[in-house]
Amino acid sequence: MLAIKTEGLSKYFKDKRAVDNLNLEVPEGVIFGYLGPNGAGKTTTIRLLLSLAKPTEGTAHILGKNIKETRSYLNKIGFLPEVPSFYNFFNAREFLHFIADLSGMEKPDKRIEEALKIVNLKNEKKRIGAYSRGMKQRMGIAQAILSDPPLLILDEPTSALDPEGRKEILDLISSFKGYKTVFFSTHILSDAERICDMVGIIKDGKLILSDSIDNIKKSYTKRTLLIEVDRPEKLMGILHNLNWVESMSPINNKGIKLEVKDLTTAQKELPQIITKEKILLNKWELIEPNLEDIFLEAVHNDG
Amino acid sequence: MMVKLIKKELVEYLKTGKFYILLFVFVFFAILSPITAKFLPEIIKNLSQGISITIPPPTWRDSFVQFSKNLNQIVFIVIVIVFIGSVSEEKNHGTAALVATKGIDRRKWVVSKFLFQFILSVLLLIFSFFLCFYYAKLLFPDTQFYAAISSTVLFLIYLFFVLSLTIFSSSIGKNLLQSAGIFFAIFIVINILNILPKVSPYNPMTLSSIESQWISSKVAWEDAIKPSISSLLLSAILIISGAIYFHNQEL
Repeated sequence: MLAIKTEGLSKYFKDKRAVDNLNLEVPEGVIFGYLGPNGAGKTTTIRLLLSLAKPTEGTAHILGKNIKETRSYLNKIGFLPEVPSFYNFFNAREFLHFIADLSGMEKPDKRIEEALKIVNLKNEKKRIGAYSRGMKQRMGIAQAILSDPPLLILDEPTSALDPEGRKEILDLISSFKGYKTVFFSTHILSDAERICDMVGIIKDGKLILSDSIDNIKKSYTKRTLLIEVDRPEKLMGILHNLNWVESMSPINNKGIKLEVKDLTTAQKELPQIITKEKILLNKWELIEPNLEDIFLEAVHNDG
Repeated sequence: MMVKLIKKELVEYLKTGKFYILLFVFVFFAILSPITAKFLPEIIKNLSQGISITIPPPTWRDSFVQFSKNLNQIVFIVIVIVFIGSVSEEKNHGTAALVATKGIDRRKWVVSKFLFQFILSVLLLIFSFFLCFYYAKLLFPDTQFYAAISSTVLFLIYLFFVLSLTIFSSSIGKNLLQSAGIFFAIFIVINILNILPKVSPYNPMTLSSIESQWISSKVAWEDAIKPSISSLLLSAILIISGAIYFHNQEL
């Protein structure tokens, strides 16, 4: 079953298509990274999914409910805004009690303590107004997970955190794998690569890629080879005119970083060239693409 | 749910000090009005330094005319300033969006804010009335309860209208300034409409002028029926419109 399914979801402003014909499918239980450059439409998508904005066209189904027909699905979602805002006069515990009241939780004390422990705010007594940005981010995560919702929508959950805090939150999100659906937007590609099962890449409001990380890596067209030889200049001179070579650059006068368009052809022809030219091969390494490579390729190819 | 939302409003007003500002204003003018009525003629006489000024002896009516004026001017302004951002500032700060994503009925959220503001204002008004009455009775033993309470009831109806206009403006506006602009624009238009003889008997503004008349001469409920009913109807329209607008608004 799908936790989120959008059908031609669009949001137009006067002179901009913030979200344009978005067809997205997020299965239940996966961690889905929603990636895109600044202004791509990530936050607008989230606002549409949460009924904070109205679609110009299309619709979405969240946990089986059509967002145009009801808002009842909202109490099954934990949401963290990009810039979390709270009632500054509350302290953490008081605020979570208020959220528990709104969520209809009965006897929430134990759950509140758990949530505060998870985000490391258990001993924090001061008012939320005096919190740092990172503490507010952790507070935001605490209120999002408080009612133990089946779907979490997190807008840039790690953006304001220090490395240690980021690791803790990523580990927390990762621990939800399999039994909670997490839809989170981020521009930190390494975070997405580390914990996501699936990613979607959005640019100028359009979804340009959406699949599992494994499938995306398999379909990634460019591959990089690191080759160390005794005569790199000679090899570069030969490779220069070959059509399966995308680009190359020397490394410390003894190696070449070679980007190829067609890995299979490269794997067949390169050893032949090396043998024929009697070049001594010291090292051969195929570098797996990372999410950043894929992201950059997807974003630039689309443009 | 409404009770929980009202409870949150109460905590907010206590913790941010807004409650104490309102309490101070209501108490201050409740005490000040009879004292001013009693001693202002003597103060003026003492300041006149030989100039002959004839001032009629003060009565209990002066206390409550003063009280009514203060309610309609200074207390009115303070109430508007304190309440006008109740919805719009939450929109502006993002807390409205956070609460809305918890799946609460947005209409109930607006109505709960209005109810809280009305209940708080009524309690403060009752408290300040009895405080004013107590001091008036001390200074003017012949103070009449019926006329004083009747004029305060009229102010209560007027206050209901003002609060509904406040919540409407706050629901429509995106921030405090915009809401205040909407409020005063409508308020000024309603005041201007009061010069039309056909509109005047139904205008909520008429209530405040009747208040003084009742204190100065006599209570005539028949004069208050039309403006009271139209004020309550207009208030209902404003509250419902504000709640529906906010329900459909993008946050």
